[in-house]
Amino acid sequence: MRRLAPRVLSVVAACLLATAARAAESCANPHQMQGFKTCADIGTAEREGGLVVYSTDPEAASESVLAEFHALFPKINTTYFRLQGGALYAKLLAERQGQAYLADITQLSDMSFAFDFQKRGGYMRYISPELAAYKPDYRSTPDGYWTWGALVVAGIAYNPNLVPADEAPRNWPDMMNPKWADAISVKVTISGLQHTTWYMLRQLYGNDFWKNLAPSKPHAFDSYVQQFDRLVNGQDKVAVTAQYSGYLLMKAKGAPVEFVYPPDGLIATPQPWGIVKEAPHPEAARLFMDWFLGAPGQTVNARFQCDYSARDDVDPPPGGAKSSTFKLLTPTDWKAFEQSHAAYVREWDKLTGMR
Amino acid sequence: MSSFGFRGWVMPLLLLVCGGLVLYPLAFLIIESLNIGDPQSFPPEELGLANYLELFEEPRVITNTLLVASIATVLAVLFGFIQAWILTRTIIPGRDRLERLMELPYYMTPLIGALAWGVLLGPKTGLINQVWQSTGWTSDFFNIYTPWGIAWVMALFEGTVAFVMISASMKSMDPSLEESSRVLGAGKLRTALKITLPLVAPGVLSATIFVFSEMLGSFAAAFVLGIPGRFFVVTTAIWEATLSFPPDYGRAAAMGLSLFGAMVLTLGCARLIMRHGSYTTITGKAFRPRAMEVGAMRFPLMTIAWGYIIVAVILPLGALLLTSMERFATVIIPQMQFTLANYETALRMGSLAPAFANSLILGVSVATLGVPTIGVLAWIIYRSRVPGRGLMEFVIMIPAAVPRLVFGLGLLWAWINIPIPIYGTLWLLGIAYFTVFLPLGLRTIAGVVLQVDPSLEECARVCGASWGYQMRTVTLPLLRPGLVAAWLLIFIASVRELGVSIFLMGPNSKVIAPAIVNSWLSSSSELSAAMALMQTAMVFVAVAILFRVARRVTGAPA
Repeated sequence: MRRLAPRVLSVVAACLLATAARAAESCANPHQMQGFKTCADIGTAEREGGLVVYSTDPEAASESVLAEFHALFPKINTTYFRLQGGALYAKLLAERQGQAYLADITQLSDMSFAFDFQKRGGYMRYISPELAAYKPDYRSTPDGYWTWGALVVAGIAYNPNLVPADEAPRNWPDMMNPKWADAISVKVTISGLQHTTWYMLRQLYGNDFWKNLAPSKPHAFDSYVQQFDRLVNGQDKVAVTAQYSGYLLMKAKGAPVEFVYPPDGLIATPQPWGIVKEAPHPEAARLFMDWFLGAPGQTVNARFQCDYSARDDVDPPPGGAKSSTFKLLTPTDWKAFEQSHAAYVREWDKLTGMR
Repeated sequence: MSSFGFRGWVMPLLLLVCGGLVLYPLAFLIIESLNIGDPQSFPPEELGLANYLELFEEPRVITNTLLVASIATVLAVLFGFIQAWILTRTIIPGRDRLERLMELPYYMTPLIGALAWGVLLGPKTGLINQVWQSTGWTSDFFNIYTPWGIAWVMALFEGTVAFVMISASMKSMDPSLEESSRVLGAGKLRTALKITLPLVAPGVLSATIFVFSEMLGSFAAAFVLGIPGRFFVVTTAIWEATLSFPPDYGRAAAMGLSLFGAMVLTLGCARLIMRHGSYTTITGKAFRPRAMEVGAMRFPLMTIAWGYIIVAVILPLGALLLTSMERFATVIIPQMQFTLANYETALRMGSLAPAFANSLILGVSVATLGVPTIGVLAWIIYRSRVPGRGLMEFVIMIPAAVPRLVFGLGLLWAWINIPIPIYGTLWLLGIAYFTVFLPLGLRTIAGVVLQVDPSLEECARVCGASWGYQMRTVTLPLLRPGLVAAWLLIFIASVRELGVSIFLMGPNSKVIAPAIVNSWLSSSSELSAAMALMQTAMVFVAVAILFRVARRVTGAPA
């Protein structure tokens, strides 16, 4: 009996802890807020008083998104920290290794980072009541670690002052035309979007597809900003893996750029968002995730970041076509996608003159 | 007792702390460079030399780096020397104003120069190339996206560093030596080459070593101008290696550490040269720094001085101002649309004001605390007989030999593993800046320390002055030009620091240079241009205020 008592006590304690954890992960009766539901305790979130978001999104637009959240919950001060995907993830891992927990929410630009972070136990599990609006493919397995907070879409862009519409590329294979030699740009190897483009177009057109681009000696850039700058300045005529958000922003400013929607599909790469385990403001983080994944947050994000929402009930970014009007190409076998990384790096480094 | 206390305890303590600041993160880097297993496990699970061997299999990046760094160093030291000679040793109209303007390129982040020269000399449509082609030429005047273009931009901006270091030496030089040469019949050019140049050799050598090491680790120009031309150097390769997934930290660390070789060779050569001559120009004999009357030559010399200012300051700032006021960045004149919206956006960004303030706080505190500390270190290394001072110089120079992007990673791993809660605060950035700017301060002050005749200090001691009294009344006043130059250089270098800040700043300790780079990488060139101009203006105003305050406090021109 004496031996049994501690065991029973430990089982009871474990059950209680598990119940408490489940309660924190999800709830039966979420509060209905303005346009979204939340399981977060708003009083506690406000007492925490802060929220730190680590992300790869542009700083000015992200501050506008967070300002909207702050306007709803003025007692929660928001702080944003931006770095390039790899640098951000390196920093996040180093911080965790050193037990310095500064981030509440993280947006990692590449699915590979999200899988790795989940494997390392970096995410706090929280099943937002808003998850129901997301297809199962758009959520982590099991639910609650990360969710596709946005879709970054890419196609082909060109300068209409240099390329008449009837001579512009119409579909992906047209970029192999030698007439674009020394006047075509792509993204550098470290871009997650470029990896997706490489992977999906190889699936569509075969493994040798990209070899035909090598003679054109494409110029590779870190960011769409440089790709579009060169396009409007006539240094390049065509940009491949051209970010749709970049096109919309440039077009709104009156820049001479046009976008091609290849009939075979536009590339779409998801942005996984999740709460960091040991977040310093866990309740505020839950509240933010509910708002962000809800229709209000997604609408605000589409407006400022010009990315698409993974929800069906959210409008496209300003000036953008409805996502139902074009086909999206996204990997379905993420394991195969991850495994293709080494081959991608080898081929892309060579194609862009890195090695 | 106080003398014994200082020399007996403070010196070893200082050596230990500064050595530790450099060697501790370096140890992490060395270990990581040997990591051939999972790049994200720390400590590494598998060790080997594969990362280094890979560099030999593909030496192109290293040879590219050495090529660009060598061209850029030669150009920068040449620019710096000519400008220093004109502005400190000759009398030309508007000399003081020109000297102030010479500091401007250094106020700007290197990214500004690269972006601006891309606007001016980009292939096909750069503004200068457009003007050139409008005169009937079919090809470009110059394509900036080449190794020569990268070296040109790097040299223009580092030329200011060379100028500050060399002019500090020239200001401390007894003009009677030049006058003697002239009296004996040597022309002005011959005097400059045979008298001035050898006498300022420590300053020139210090500048050359420092500039070369800066060039090896230079990132912005190679990043903006090299990548479009498919030309990669060590820093851009490191950028790619650390930002990819899985990150190749081992290769990045190996590439960064491989630059040690070049640095050790440079430092070795410098020590060899210094051993073979006496460079003392400040002796017991009284002198007043005087500039030469150059007669009719003053106008050509003034034109040369202004030429550098135009090319290094006015043209890039003009190009940047134009970009910052555009709706979208373009160099094609009919396409241009103007707006002030970029400034409005920059001012609306809530994180920008704290980033500016943090950069200023760090600049002032690191320079103010760093200069006296480095001054004492320079004195120990070049004046004392403390054993191992040569090794100490080598250790302090290490951060200059490792690209900051890599050293930043070492600092991150090192400081995050110390149970002192300073990660994510300005304290850590301050310590990191002090560590990486040790070489800058040491090289600047060393140039002047070597010029001061030890007999002056010995004389003070013989007259009964204590070590502290002698430092305060003899050594420090003589070192003043070098200390002021070091303060200015460290302040500005801190305000525009990028490589280390990327990994060490936290959400509540943001600084300005990474914010500008982030904006360029993710928002727009026109917004980045507006932010960069605001940063330049901020530094300029801060320096002007600081000099005015210094003048009031000391009652002398700073």
